[in-house]
Amino acid sequence: MGKYLVKRFLLMFPTLLGVAILIFVLIRVIPGDVVELRLAGDSSSVSQELLDRERIRFGLDQPVWKQFVTWMAGVVRLDFGTSMWTGAPIWEEIKLRFALSMQVAIMATIVAVVLAIPLGVISALKQDTWVDYAVRIFSIAGLATPSFWLGIVFILVMLIVFKWLPPMVYTPFWVNPWQNMLQLIWPALAVGYRYSAVATRITRSAMLEVLREDYIRTARAKGLMQKLILSRHALKNAMLPVVTVIGLEFAFLLGGLVVTEQVFNLNGLGLLFVQAVAHRDYTLIQALVMLVAGFFIVVNFAMDMMYAWLDPRIRYR
Amino acid sequence: MRRALVVFIAVLAMATLAVPVQAQDKPRYGGELVFAVPSQPPTYDGHQEETFGLIHPVAPHYNTLLRTDPSDKTGTKPVGDLAESWTISRDGLLYTFKIRSGVKFHDGSDLTSKDVKASYDKIIFPVEPMKSSRKASYQAVQAVEAPDATTVRFKLKWPESSFLLNVSSPWNFIYKADILAKDMRYYEKNIMGTGPFTFVEHVKGSHWVGKKNPNYWDKGKPYLDGYRALFISSSSAQVAAVRGDRAHIQFRGFTPADRDSLVGALGSKITVQESPWDCVLMVAMHHEKKPFDDKRVRRALTLALDRHEASKNLSKIAIVRDVGGVQVPGTPYATPPEELEKLAGYGRDINKSRAEARRLLKEAGVPDGFSFTFKNRGIPQPYEPIGIWLIDQWRQIGLNVKQEIIEASAYHPMLKRGDFETAMDFACGFIVEPDLDLHRFASTSDANYGKHKDVVIDDLFQRQGRATDPEERKKLLRAFEKRLIDEEVHVLYTLQWHRIIPHSSKVKGWTITPSHYLNNQLDTVWLAE
Repeated sequence: MGKYLVKRFLLMFPTLLGVAILIFVLIRVIPGDVVELRLAGDSSSVSQELLDRERIRFGLDQPVWKQFVTWMAGVVRLDFGTSMWTGAPIWEEIKLRFALSMQVAIMATIVAVVLAIPLGVISALKQDTWVDYAVRIFSIAGLATPSFWLGIVFILVMLIVFKWLPPMVYTPFWVNPWQNMLQLIWPALAVGYRYSAVATRITRSAMLEVLREDYIRTARAKGLMQKLILSRHALKNAMLPVVTVIGLEFAFLLGGLVVTEQVFNLNGLGLLFVQAVAHRDYTLIQALVMLVAGFFIVVNFAMDMMYAWLDPRIRYR
Repeated sequence: MRRALVVFIAVLAMATLAVPVQAQDKPRYGGELVFAVPSQPPTYDGHQEETFGLIHPVAPHYNTLLRTDPSDKTGTKPVGDLAESWTISRDGLLYTFKIRSGVKFHDGSDLTSKDVKASYDKIIFPVEPMKSSRKASYQAVQAVEAPDATTVRFKLKWPESSFLLNVSSPWNFIYKADILAKDMRYYEKNIMGTGPFTFVEHVKGSHWVGKKNPNYWDKGKPYLDGYRALFISSSSAQVAAVRGDRAHIQFRGFTPADRDSLVGALGSKITVQESPWDCVLMVAMHHEKKPFDDKRVRRALTLALDRHEASKNLSKIAIVRDVGGVQVPGTPYATPPEELEKLAGYGRDINKSRAEARRLLKEAGVPDGFSFTFKNRGIPQPYEPIGIWLIDQWRQIGLNVKQEIIEASAYHPMLKRGDFETAMDFACGFIVEPDLDLHRFASTSDANYGKHKDVVIDDLFQRQGRATDPEERKKLLRAFEKRLIDEEVHVLYTLQWHRIIPHSSKVKGWTITPSHYLNNQLDTVWLAE
């Protein structure tokens, strides 16, 4: 078990290095740079002298390998530098957005798990009954509905029917839980619904497969209670693919809610990401990619640990 | 008797109705103005930045030497802000400004002419590594002097008719000299001004808050207790914010469709202000690429455009409307309509113009069905509808045009490289002033993307800028315009942008201008309820 985890842990570093090289090169391949964009503004008249001076200030006149080495030297010290667009330290740019995105991701995951697991299990147990059909329709509708579209529907209903709009400024939960919830519950529901649809489908199919296993039949034959069979034997074994889906979706939510964040005007990482790309803010893009990649890797590592807990065969391998 | 009673009741009713109107017109104190800002300030230093994302939230913290009259719809009348009065020497080479006394910075220290000088030195003569985005606009300035605590003098190398409007620039915040002396970069991350509102907080990507400056020099102002700028990038979220009463106004502009949806939903709760906008899309034609090196071809391209018909139709779907020349319609140096119609492509008889265009193309050896590429910027409003319109118009004179959309971030480098045959060029001014709007057409300008070389244009531009008599300046401008868009057709103007601001009817004391960079100090703004 220990060897398994150490191996998984060590694999994180080459993955992160690969991501770092990839993003560093890719972002520089795209035409346009932060200096042009910042100085061009609404008007397109900027002197070449001013552009050159700004490029030197940002170190963009240096060879790419030198820029990469300088950046990596900072990264290993967890110093991601300053934003080329605002001049503020990267962490300052990220921290508020990180809190918001993390909260939406957690809330959406809670919504998804609370809906998906009971619905998936019931659907499997009541296979081919009206209950199963209802759950399947609910989950397929969720898969077919983009969360930003659902968000727009929420907004329009609130505006037209209730003449009300959620707050547009983020209030941290510890400052005012009510205001915080008023703003974030809607995106969490919009995102959580689609997320739950994926998880419901996976839970249902995994449960159906497990319920047909010999050990479940054996448990039933020896007279074990249905509740125990489900919780101790069936559900635990069916959870492996469900955990994978939940983990990946959760990691995706951290930086992937670009359109939903725009719809609800959430000051999250997804929106920051889009702005950073639009501004060609290299340092910020690199830091965000590293953050999201690091988050994916950590979530994957946590999932690996959970697999080991759920499936003893992995532990003893 | 009965008739007298009716008259009495009528007078009484009118008097009763008149009371609320009067009460409404009298500014009311209190309240927080909430406005949406579609962009964000990169830094807080107005001397360096270029985006309205800075002006909208930051301007209320500062004063400028002069400003444009906040009640003037053309945004072209300079009035004193920190300057109480000013005089101009007879030769036009010395401007002397008397600075108001009793003006205090938000930290309680007094403002003197030293602060004005330090701020203008930073703008006009930036010391490395500082940059100044508007240094080029003050090439005429030889020196800024502060002979005593309340006097500032600008010595000019040559007379410049745009000088007063140039010092009314909304970007030229007056900073504190002592701070600049210690740290030139202080104002990139901090606020310390004399303006009507003091700084409370900026949460990046979220909002900006200012509160009333109780020691503001203009006694009785501001009317608001404070303001809150919400950074909202999505236009649909901006509309929703105004509709849902989460924001009173967005100062940049909405589309006609947004205006109609807000008016439809909110009726009298919404007030709409509209103005020609000091922004315009032009077509740059590369003078070093065939057949655009031939002025007959360039003239044919402008003759093909039915601007008057487009004005009626495009204004329903895009943020454009008026047919204008090189200055915003309705402003002091705008082309009178009867003169405008004499220019190529501005006449009312489109069939005649297009027949002439076809003749010119044939004469220049351009075959029917000739293909070329038009590069357009990947921004929906108004680039997309204007691009489609141009292609349609050119097809009607037998040209086959392929549109290539370039992502917004990569667009400016493409223009600078000259990597185009024809391309959409764009300009937005912060004050309608010929010097500021037309410098881009000088042969040596960095924004001369079509790479024309025209000594006549250069000479006319310089002469109009130095003409101290407005009538003489108008004549020179008309000659410049005729040369630029009629005789040589170095560039092709499309339609003037149209600024539409639908805002909560509670917002009073704010007047739209052709520039979304003006009138953001908020000292005159008040809320009716």
